[in-house]
Formats: sequence, structure tokens, C-alpha cells
Amino acid sequence: MASAEPNPKRGGTLRIAFGVTTSNYDLQQGASNSVLTHLYSNLVRLNPVDGLKTIVPDVAESFVVAPDGLAYTFTLRSGVQFHDGTPLTADDVVATYNRMIFPPQGIVSLLKDRYAAVAKVEAVDPRTVKFTMNEPSAIFLLLLTDTTQGIYSKKTLDANNNDLRKVLVAPGTGPFMFKEYKDGEKWTLVRNPNYWNRDLPYLDALELIHVPAWSDRGTAVLTSQADVSWNVSKETWDEGTRRTDAMRTNRVTTFGAYQVIINAHQKPFDDPRVRRAVHLALNRQGLIEAFKTQEQIDLSRWVPHGGQFATPRDTIATLPGYRADKTQDIADARKLLAEAGYASGMSAIELLSASVPPHAEIMAPGVQDQLKNALGMEVNIRVAERSLLVEDEKAGRFTLVLDTPGGPISDFSPLANTYFKTGGSQNYGGYSNAQFDALLKQSDRELDPNKRRALLDQMQDLLDQDPPWLFIGFTDHLLMWNARVRGLALDKRAQSEWGRVEIAWLDA
Amino acid sequence: MQRYIFRRLVTAVPTIFGITILIFVAMRILPGDPLAVVANEGQGQYRLTDEELAAARASLGLDRPLPQQYLIWMADVARGDLGHSFWNTEPIRDTVVRRGAVSLEIALAAVALSWLIGVPAGILSATHHNALSDYVVRLFMTLFLAVPSFWIGLTTVLFLVLAFTWRPPLVITDLWQDPLKNLQMVVGPAAALGLGLAAGLARMTRSTILEALFDDYVRTARSKGLRENAVVGRHVMRNALLPVVTTSGAAMGALIGGAVATETAFGVPGLGSYLVQALNARDWIVIQNLVLIYGTIAVLINMLVDLSYAWIDPRIRYS
Repeated sequence: MASAEPNPKRGGTLRIAFGVTTSNYDLQQGASNSVLTHLYSNLVRLNPVDGLKTIVPDVAESFVVAPDGLAYTFTLRSGVQFHDGTPLTADDVVATYNRMIFPPQGIVSLLKDRYAAVAKVEAVDPRTVKFTMNEPSAIFLLLLTDTTQGIYSKKTLDANNNDLRKVLVAPGTGPFMFKEYKDGEKWTLVRNPNYWNRDLPYLDALELIHVPAWSDRGTAVLTSQADVSWNVSKETWDEGTRRTDAMRTNRVTTFGAYQVIINAHQKPFDDPRVRRAVHLALNRQGLIEAFKTQEQIDLSRWVPHGGQFATPRDTIATLPGYRADKTQDIADARKLLAEAGYASGMSAIELLSASVPPHAEIMAPGVQDQLKNALGMEVNIRVAERSLLVEDEKAGRFTLVLDTPGGPISDFSPLANTYFKTGGSQNYGGYSNAQFDALLKQSDRELDPNKRRALLDQMQDLLDQDPPWLFIGFTDHLLMWNARVRGLALDKRAQSEWGRVEIAWLDA
Repeated sequence: MQRYIFRRLVTAVPTIFGITILIFVAMRILPGDPLAVVANEGQGQYRLTDEELAAARASLGLDRPLPQQYLIWMADVARGDLGHSFWNTEPIRDTVVRRGAVSLEIALAAVALSWLIGVPAGILSATHHNALSDYVVRLFMTLFLAVPSFWIGLTTVLFLVLAFTWRPPLVITDLWQDPLKNLQMVVGPAAALGLGLAAGLARMTRSTILEALFDDYVRTARSKGLRENAVVGRHVMRNALLPVVTTSGAAMGALIGGAVATETAFGVPGLGSYLVQALNARDWIVIQNLVLIYGTIAVLINMLVDLSYAWIDPRIRYS
């Protein structure tokens, strides 16, 4: 791993502006991985040099996948040290993953469901770790690339009874070391002189500046108060694209989406024809346009738009429900409603929305208006504070709810297993489709990318016919950086990762 | 006077005690659990199951009886320790001191600016009643009363970025570390807030002076042959200042913690934005401590304002 551009220069402080507050300090218990990732190493990671398109070894020197996909064996690099000088061994990797996958009593592991296919994690020798699987997993390696997957030392985990939420900051093996944190202001991280990659990082220090407002992040980069921001407001991003002498911009995909979750247990949405009708009638292009002052939504389908299995945008734009010309879609939707016994429309349908203005004042009214005009559906908006909305969702006290669920990686599997699978941990709408469940299981085990693509296409077709939710679209982030930031290949990125920057350097 | 101050301090205790009870109970009876969602920007969100939620609550001591939680909080406060937010290790006291300092600077500068502009403008307007200068002052009073300070802030920042590729700093620099950089952060919000406050003060000053100018004691002063400047300066102003001081005192208290929109517009990480951050996270511990601080500040400022009456107006004596 080295700079993506030749002749890197050493020194300087890179300043990144985003929301740097964190709910705690434990990467695997909900801490801000965008902040803490700089302090840790994964086993494997997405390659920043090629714009995050391939998986490369990180603290693992190499890995071998068993031909049947039932074992992954990682060989660790030698001479890797934690920031406190403790050498990294296979026991540390085992302790880290055992805590995630098989959490001890009292530990909240937010990630255990992802690794349901893992049967055992063991240290073969001090430099070798073996993951034994219950069944093959198409996404196992990709899951390991997530920036929450930093390796902790067994010593630290043991010393803190496996709970690092209040440990500021547990030593890692990452390219930067903790220096200072001022809550709600900034983190200062300094170069790790003992980083396992002796050439890196090029920078002396990192400053992660707390700038909660997207417009402030944009103006911070435009005025050189920050060098990079992972997501800025549209108007400042547009200004950045005009200032080609000093600014660089890129629009990258994310794995979060705007959706209207449907309660499939409640009338009239217990009838798949009604769900299909609203799916067809929704004018996604209209909502995307209306919302672009707030967030950038991409015309996308069920599989995350940044992933290798996503349906191409041009194809999506021709599909019923997604196409711009709604004439045929609305006619078909009305026909479906008539068949379902709702020819004269519907009244008193409740749409629950979080109280944040973009949801309550733009997106929810947009959906309400479209369903009224296209289908004569009378939708009443109920606004609730976020935690109350979550409680209502969990208890099934909703008919429709506008929400922004997302997944950790560019693959469809975590989303589908969490939200759409029968009995999924957050399938609050109670959607159930046996054919979909079977395809999902098959897809999760399928290691051949071509066969898996075919399965995912089938699943998407099925969801279009029997939609669990009213899908609006995945979002994009507007990345902006100063032209003096080099080596990080931000211009090559197709998807968002608020991740490590040790290959970045600053041009004078 | 000392007895009066002592009496006021004693009566402040139940007021502050009432504030602590109110905020403590309010935060806990409001529906919604702050721990229900674990979310960090750019990473989506995770909803805790009921079992996970119970474990998280227990680890923070939130499963204890409410009276016990309250007593623990009061014991912390008595020790001068405001505790920690749900998870952050930095003591709330340290955060308040660091971020409160910049908010205090802004509030002091805004009030000072409002006096520098508002009081002379009010006097000019009153003493030149219905003259051109009165109309001009009233025009600006109306303008700055009507335009919200956060809008002035947003427009100012936008103009600075587009015209000069510059914006006020986003990270706090202490006054003693780098006075110029500190000033760059403080001057914008202080001016935006101060102009609005100055408009209010000018209106208040104008009306109280206009009223006083026709009082008997003013007529007496004039009949003694005093010059108009002396009449206004020595006699009218003392009387007219009381409501001005009251307004400024109330504004000072509000500005220290309540200039949220203006702080946000300028990107200042002050006490107001700390409160917003805590409210968004429903961080009860931070919220209840900040409300306690605001309440205490309000009580103290009110007392100082009352005491200042005796200094301004010799007819008022506390005994």
C-alpha cells in the first residue's frame, strides 16, 4: 500500500470536516468508526488506491479461502505492534471477533447478526487465524472490510471486561495515534512511528474537525479551514466544482436509502396488489428533484447502487415504477387498486415521519401529494421525534413510516436479511415472502459472482412485484477536497467510505 | 445591603432546587428512550433490541430508582462535578468551561455593542423627536428588530465565502492563545446579536427618555438653568436607564446559552450548540446540567440587575 500518486511528500496536518461526535468509544458497539478507524487496522480492507473497488490485505499479510468456502485462514504480518507496544498476535484477532460474533453476557454486539455464518474463530498459531463457517458466505470478506472491524488487543479487552465504550482510546495498530479529543470540537491524531507499513503515513497529524452542518463543511473546505469533507451541501459542492483551480469534487454512492416502510399486517397494505400499486405510482424522479437541496438521492433499485450487482441506472429508468413517464404506471396502479377493492381511493392512511425538517416538511409531504394525485389515497402525516418513531416502528404501531435504513457494505445481503427476510431483526413491517427468503438464502451461499448476480436480479424482480416497502432511492455523498490533498485517489471512488487516509499527502 | 444580598441568595436556593427537580423529572417522563438508536453520521443507525436496551440502561445506572438517580446527581453537583454524558469521557464541567467561555465572550460583546449603539441612538432619537435623525434611527430600529440575527449570520458567512473565500473559524481558539483568531470567531455572532439587541435597547431608551423629558423634575432642572446635555445626562438618563439595564440583564442570560441559531449560523461550537447536540442525542445528563447552569446564571443576573438599580437610581435603597 502506497500513495496513489507518485512522489509523495511527507509532513503536514490533514484536516477533515464532518460530524465527529461519537456515542461511545467502542468501534463494535456503535462508536463513530469514521473517527476511530484511523487508529486501527482491519484484517482486510477496500483498496483506497483503486477507489475502493477491490479487497486487499490489511494487517493480514495474506488469506486463503477453502475451495468449499467453509474456512478462511488469515496470516498476520509480523512485527505489528499496538500503540502501547504490545505485539499483535492471532489471539487478539480471535478475541476481537469472538466478542463480536459470540458476545459475552452484558455486551451489546451490534454486529453479531452479520456473522451468522461463522461457526468458530480460532488461533492456529501466533500468526494464523482461522474462521470456520457453518455454510459458505458470499459476503464474508466484504464484511471484514467495514471500518467498524478494527482489531483490538486481547489485553485491552480483558482489562476492560470486553466493554470499551468508555475507554478513550483503546490502543490500535492503525497509522495514527490518539493525541487529544475535545468533545464537539475536534480530534487530534498523530502519526504512528511504529506503523507496520514503515513508509506510511505520509502525514504528521490528522485533525478531525466537528462541523455538523453540511453547508459549513463545504465553506470550511472552500476557505481552506479544512482540507477534505466526506459530504458537503449541494450549493457549496457546486461552488467547489466551479473552482477547479483549488477544489476537487466527486459524487459517491452510499448504502443508505430513503424508504417508506409499509406495515404488511395492516389494511390496505396487507394486500400485495396495493403495495405494488403504490410502488408503481410513486414518481421517484419528482421526489429526487424536490429533495436535492437537502440530500442527493439516486434513481436506484433494491440492491445498493454502489455495489457490483446493482442494476445499471439506465436500465432502472426504463422499468415500471422507476421510469419518468408515469402514464402507464399510474393506469396499472389504479387497475390493481380496483382489483383489490379500492377503486374509489382510500382515506385516513397514516404516514409516520421523523420530526427533522427534511423528512417532515419535504419528503413526507411529497409522498403524500403523489399518492393523493396518482391514486386518490388520502394520507395523513404524523410527525414524531426520532426515538418515538423507532419505538412505534418496533411495536408495529404504524401503517407507513418514512425512514432511512441502510447497510454496512455495498452488498444487498445485510439489508435483505435485516429488513426483508421473514423474521428479520428489523423487519418491523412484517413482510414475508417464502420465495424471496429461499432466493436470499441461496444467494448468500452462492460464491460464483455470475450466478449470484442472476439470483439478485430475480430477487429484485420479485420485490418489484411484491414490494415490502415503498422504495424511494439510495443516497449519494458529495465529496469535496482541496487540490493539495494528493495520493488518496478520491476522484476514483464510486462509493462512500469515511475511512483511513494514511496514503494521503499534502502538496505544498 | 449585605443582608439583602444574603436574603436573595437564600431565596435563590429553592428556585434552583425547583429547576433541578423540574428538568430531572421532565427528561425522564418524556416518551422516547435516548438509547434506543445508536447512530453516527454517515454510518446509518442500529436499533437496540429490548434486551440490548436493558443492558445498555443498566450499564449507565439508568435502571436505578429515580430518587436514587437524582440524589447521585445532586451529590455530584455539590462536589462541583457535573458528571459525564452518557458515554463521553470528557467531564461535562470541562466542556462547559471551554465552550461556555466563547459563548460568554459573544454575550458580553453583544451586550456591550448594544449599549454602544442602542443607548446613544435612543437618546438621539428621543432628544430629536420627529426630526430626520429620529426617523433614521427608527428605520434602523425596525429593520434590526425585524431581521433575525441568524439570518444576518448566514448572509454574512455566505458573503464572506463567495467574495473573499474566507469564513470565521470553526474551532475554538482561546483569547489568551491567539487573540486575533479568537476575535474572528466572536465578532460575527456578537455583531449579529448585538445589532438586534441594540435596536431593542434604542427603542426602550427612546420611549423612557421621551417620557422622562416631560416630567416635573426635568422641568425643575431646566428651570435651574442647567444645559440640556446636563439635564439629559444627569437627570433623565438615570431614570431612563432602569428598564434598559433590566432588558440587558435578561438578554445577557439568554445570550449565554440561548444564542443557538446565531452560533449555528456562524458555526461557533459554543454552549448553545452544545445544548443542541445534547438535545439531538437526548443526552439527559448533559441537558439537566446545562439547564441547571442556565437557571443559576439567570438567578444571579437577576440579582445583579436588582442591585444595580440602587447604584443607578439613588431613590432605591435596599435594607
